[in-house]
Order: sequence, then structure tokens, then C-alpha cells
Amino acid sequence: MTDLLIVGEGLCGLFAAVLASQHGADTTLVAQGRGGLSLSHGCIDILRDRASATTLRTLPQGHPYKLAGGENLDRALKKFLVITSGGGLAYRGGVEEILRLPTALGGVHATSFAPESLARASLGEIKSFTVGALEGFRDFSAELVRRNLARSGFPVPTVVSLPLLGDVPRRDLYAHDLALRFDDSEWRSELARAWKPRVGGLRLLGVPAVLGLWKHAEVIASLEDKLDLTLFEIPTLPPTLPGLRLERLLRRTALVSGVRLIEGSRALGLVDGRSGGERVAGVVVQAAGGPRTFPSDAVLLATGGTLHGGLIARQNGRILESVFDIPVQHSESRGEWTSERPLGAQPFASYGLRVNSEMRPVSDEGAPYFANLYAAGGIIGGSDRAVEGTRQGIDLLTAFRAVESALGVAL
Amino acid sequence: MTDLPGLAADMCLKCNICTAACPVAAVTDLFPGPKAVGPQEERFRHPRLPTADDSVAWCSGCGVCSRVCPHGVAVTEINVRAKAALAQQNGIGLRDRLISRPALLGRMGVRVAPLANAGLSNPLVRRIIEGILGVSRESPLPPFSSDTLRRRQADRIAAQPSDTVPATKLSVAYFHGCSTEYYEPRIGELAIAVLERLDCQVILPPQGCCGLPLQSNGLFDAARRYARSNIESLGPFASAGIPIVGTSTSCTLALKHEYRAILGLEGESVAGVAGATLDFFEFITLHRIAQLNRQHLRSTPLTVLYHPPCQLRGHGIGTPAMDVLRMIPDLEIVLSEAECCGIAGTYGLKREKATVAHAVGRPLFDQAHDVHPDSILSDSETCRWWIQNHTGLKSLHPLQLLAQAMNLE
Repeated sequence: MTDLLIVGEGLCGLFAAVLASQHGADTTLVAQGRGGLSLSHGCIDILRDRASATTLRTLPQGHPYKLAGGENLDRALKKFLVITSGGGLAYRGGVEEILRLPTALGGVHATSFAPESLARASLGEIKSFTVGALEGFRDFSAELVRRNLARSGFPVPTVVSLPLLGDVPRRDLYAHDLALRFDDSEWRSELARAWKPRVGGLRLLGVPAVLGLWKHAEVIASLEDKLDLTLFEIPTLPPTLPGLRLERLLRRTALVSGVRLIEGSRALGLVDGRSGGERVAGVVVQAAGGPRTFPSDAVLLATGGTLHGGLIARQNGRILESVFDIPVQHSESRGEWTSERPLGAQPFASYGLRVNSEMRPVSDEGAPYFANLYAAGGIIGGSDRAVEGTRQGIDLLTAFRAVESALGVAL
Repeated sequence: MTDLPGLAADMCLKCNICTAACPVAAVTDLFPGPKAVGPQEERFRHPRLPTADDSVAWCSGCGVCSRVCPHGVAVTEINVRAKAALAQQNGIGLRDRLISRPALLGRMGVRVAPLANAGLSNPLVRRIIEGILGVSRESPLPPFSSDTLRRRQADRIAAQPSDTVPATKLSVAYFHGCSTEYYEPRIGELAIAVLERLDCQVILPPQGCCGLPLQSNGLFDAARRYARSNIESLGPFASAGIPIVGTSTSCTLALKHEYRAILGLEGESVAGVAGATLDFFEFITLHRIAQLNRQHLRSTPLTVLYHPPCQLRGHGIGTPAMDVLRMIPDLEIVLSEAECCGIAGTYGLKREKATVAHAVGRPLFDQAHDVHPDSILSDSETCRWWIQNHTGLKSLHPLQLLAQAMNLE
């Protein structure tokens, strides 16, 4: 019997697992695959238009921030920063701050907290700078960044071409491949010697985010020292290192603090019959040999939304939550699930569970479905996280509040 | 896990989560990564036409990709099948036909154990074997035992469930696998001793090699013969409600999953055996926790590094050995941070793969160097032998530590 069983291994599930286990709870995390952190920029978006008491008030009723209490954002983020700095990953920003960072397409990403290596390129702070193209690395175009950034209000950077060492690779290299090479101190030292003549006189150099995976801080410090300049990173196509570093850090922290991790298995909800259907009993895991029951005092759904498996649209046109088959409010007509403008707000993006202030899924009448079932992150409806720029803020805040409720403690 | 890996390829979003997790792609650009050789390339494979690209041969079959895929794509299963088709197309050499038959090697080796062991531990002999066969001389070959488990425990052999004496105790059918039978019978005896102390009656059902090494080397027909024979002999035990408990996480994975998902075996008894099969520690956590709680576990002031084998992670049950080991007083357990130790069954034995396999295991060897534990624990024999060989540290099955704490060793 575990105290808290979490379903989902994205930012939300991993953060909840770390919080619960560090508080001393026996914690189990079950996931059908790893979540989307390694596809993300690793930043914490809280609200595109800057989170403040005023802007948070203007959010619609039923928005996850309103239910979980926007005033708790500070406490949740404080925990996040303690965990990440404890794992050697420095973040910069603030709940009520907006950092405007260059993207690999030369656009601007507005966020509230960013890994130090990204935050250094924040608009307003950055003066003249150079973007480095890594020769042979096809997932990043410095020229594209240069051309588009001019339209985004940034100073127009210069571009420098930088060699990579070794034989011509026998396949395309991913950002992840390069990051592992940068982790190797010998390779890195030799690379610095090759770069040195090309970067003479430069003060600030931006490169695709490949500066190490496990030894990121050491990689940046040693290269800056050898090249005598300041480095920053721009996130690339997946695998995206800033997100991957955060994922690895959270998983490692969770395991070290004793989380039982079950990857690769689908979980199906188990209702406690003896409670008259008022409580959940745990989950049944679709393990290799067949179904295995994992009983738990409480279950936290961190399964994500439409894109992530938390919601399933059935043949009959009903959308259900995927672990306990909890009904979800949605338009009856499939044609109304999406908007005609592909890049605009999408109705389906707001579909998800209704929860109360304790993060318990509730019916339309506001009654909890189960006394010991909680939900956090993208599975909660009521917000279009992509349009609002609230994705990671909702993940962290609702995970924090759900763990507090499930364990009956103040974290 | 879908039963139709080919179809599931269409579920792939190309998100590269598997690529970032793959321990082989991380160390060599000879391997394009699980997504590229799997769901991506699957579209260009025809069941009756040869394939032009042989990069899938670098897949070690560790299973990480299937485990991390958020969309239920059976990436490993696609790749293991493609790898087998490629091996059959290119011809399977003598080396792969030999190292994939631990039962055959074991039966021969046990008879001449002193001589065989002297030979296999001789560097010159290993050099010759490498030259002729292509078995890396750096990779460990375990010494044969002079006696088998079944000979030592002959009174436990039961051909049928009806052969077991009806007892008040819970009957357990022990699947010992080849390693315990021919190389490490002591581990089997300790497993039996622990189970009996926990009020079980342990029997040895008829069994052969699980067939996994054959499957990994592309010899699917031979693997299926072993698989069918095991299903036939274990099926009645499963039907009688007797748990089939194994101490080798690769054999138990074969019984639970590979027979169906990779070898394509079907039928009620295949699913029955899969459902009845339990890892040793999974069995204890599911059925014997009360009995274990009543045991006095001796203080064990040691630091151990626990590496869950990739096959165990593929069981989808977490790491039950950790749950049990945590009950041992004063034992400090550090969890391995490596996805795979590198050996992946027989992969690391091959001369052309040994360097890659060693690089895959580097994060674990480095961690072992930093932690400097009293011993390294792992539930799979090939991992243990490989890790001990590359770290110089004593490597144990976690049940050996439990047996010590129970004063059985």
C-alpha cells in the first residue's frame, strides 16, 4: 500500500512525486511513457500577460489558477526553485516577471522563469550579441534566427560559424548527441581551442541549447572561461535540452527520495467497492505479464490533456478522462471541438476535469466523484494553456495544491 | 502493449522521447536511434523483400524505447523483429548460434567444469575464441558449476502439479533458468531457502531455456520451440493457481511478455503462464509481506548500489527488490542512474559490439566508482557478471543480501 499514487510523468507528475516523497509519503508514480518535458523549452510560463493580482483576477471562473488560488503560486514556485537549485540547475525569474527570450525561429518566447543559460538573452537586458551556427548540426539555423529576430525588437545579431570536432557523423546529430559530447571535458577543451580564433572579440555568444546534459553548469563555466565571453542557449527541436535537463533532474530527485517508478505501463482506475463507490482503491497497471493491482490511499491524476492521453474521445462522441472514465464537459458536436483557425484558440484545449479548490474532480453540481482522488496539470479543464501561456504555472501550482490536499499538510 | 507492433507504428508522433532515452544511440552514431530504425523505417520494410539498411543490428534490445514511449508504440518489439529478419537475411553465424544456447552450453560445460573453466579463464584461450568465433575476450564468461540445481534439489522436482504434496503452505513453482541451473546453483538454493522460510513449498517444474537468447539473436524458430515446450510444461501449474516464480528477470520477462509480443505465441495457456509468472521480489511484495514482517532481519551496515536490469524495468512493476531491501536495517541502498549496464543479454559478448556495450555501461561504472559500494546488486545474471567484470566490485543478486539478513547464508 502506497500513500500517494501519481499517474503521469510530465512536469506535473514528477513535481508532485518529489514534493510528496520529500515530505515523507510513500509515493508511487505510474506512467505510460515519459511526459513531454523533453519536448519543451524547460521554462516556466505562468501567464503571457504577466501574472499579478490584477491579471489573475480577470481570469474566467473555473480557471485552474482561481481554483488552486493564484496567491499560492509563490509557494509552489519557491519549492520548484529549491528542488532545481538543489539538483544543480539554476533558474532565473519571478512570478510577476516576464522574460522575453529568443526562439530558434527568431521569435520571442515570453516566460516567467527560465534556466539561467536561456535567461541571459532576455530582451531589454541584451545588447549586441552573436549567434553561433554549429557546422553540420541541421536542427538549428543561426541565419534564420538573425533574420527573424530583427522583426521581434531584438538587436540584430551577427552570425559566426563554429566547427564541431571529429569525423563527419554517420547520421544526423540530435541536440542530445551534441550535449553528451559537451559533457566530455577533453572533447570540450579541444573544441574550445578550435572555436577560440573564430570568437575573438565577441562578448555574448548564443548557441543552440547543446551545452551539456549531466554537466551543464560545468560545461558553460569552463567554455566561458576558455573563450573569455558569456554564453547563452536557444532551445532547439526535440530532444530539447533545457526540458530534458529538468526532466532528468526531477526523475533523479524523485528516485533518490524513494519514489517507486513504474514506466511503460498504462494505469486503469480501481474503485473501492467497500466504500460504496465513494473512494478509489488504487490503480490496475497493465504490466508485462498482465494486470497488476497497486493499492493506494490516494490517487493523483497528472495525465495531461487532449494531446497527452489524459482525455479519450470515444467512438460515441463522448470525451472521458482516461483512468477513471470521469465524464468531461464538451460540445456535443465534434465540429465544434476545433476552431477553423489552426493557430488560434481551440475549444478542445479547454476540455478537462472540473476540480474544486482541493483539486478533487467534481461533478457539474460540485460534488467530488471520490473522496481520495485528485487531479493536477493539463487534465484540469477551464484554460487554453497554449494561448494563455500558463502551461507550466498550472502544472506546478495544481500539483502543489493536490499534494497538500492528498497528504493533508501544508508544504 | 499492443499485440500488433507493426500497426502501432502509425501511433508514432516522431517526438524523439525514445531517441533521447536510448542508451545505444547516446554512445554511437552507428545507431540512428529507436525511432529512426523502428516506426520510421518500418514503413519501408516489406515482409518478403530484403532490407537495404542494416543499422537496426546495433539495437541491443534493452527495451527502454517501448517503456518511455508516451503513445504506446512497441518500439523495441518492432526493432527486435526487424533485427531478427535482418539476421536471417544475412545469415546467422556459428557464434550467435552458440552463445544463444545457454542450456546446451551448460549441459556440456557442467560435465567438464574444471577443464572448461580453466580454459575459459585462460587469456590465450579467450584470444583464440575471439579470433575464431568473435566472442569478445573482454566480456565475462561465467564459470560452470560442477553440479546442477536440479541434481542438488532432486526431491523438489515435480512433473505435474498433482505431484506436489498437498500442504498448508503456499506452493511455488520455481523457474530457475539456465544460469542458476548450470552456473550459479547456490543462488537457486538461497531463493528456495528464503521462500521456505516465508512459508512456501517450493517445487521445480519441468523447464528448459526460456529462449530469450535465441530470440535476441534472430533464431525465432528455435526460440519458439523452447517457448512452446515451456508453456506446455508450465501451463498446468499456472492453471492450478501455482505462482511461477523466477530469480532471473530476463527469463521471467520472456514468460510474461516476449512469447506473446515478439514470438507471436497465442492461446489461453500462454496468457495463463504469463499471468502466473512473477519475479522473485514481486512475489514477496505481493504475497509474502506479512511473513517477511515477522522475520528478524539482521542489521546489515553496508552500502550497495542497486542496478535494476532493463528487462526487469520492462516488467512494468517497478523495482520490488528495493521495497524488500529497504526493510533490512542499516543497509544503505544507492539506486543506479543508468538506463542499461550495456551487456543486454548476449549483445556485449560480441566482438564487434563490445566497445559500444562498454560505453553504454559507462555511466553505471562511473557511478560505481564514485559511490564505491560494498557490492553492486542486480537481478539479472548477465548484468551481474558484466558489471563485476567492468568495475572489479563484487556483484550479487539482491536475494543474496536478503538471505544474509535472514541468516540463511
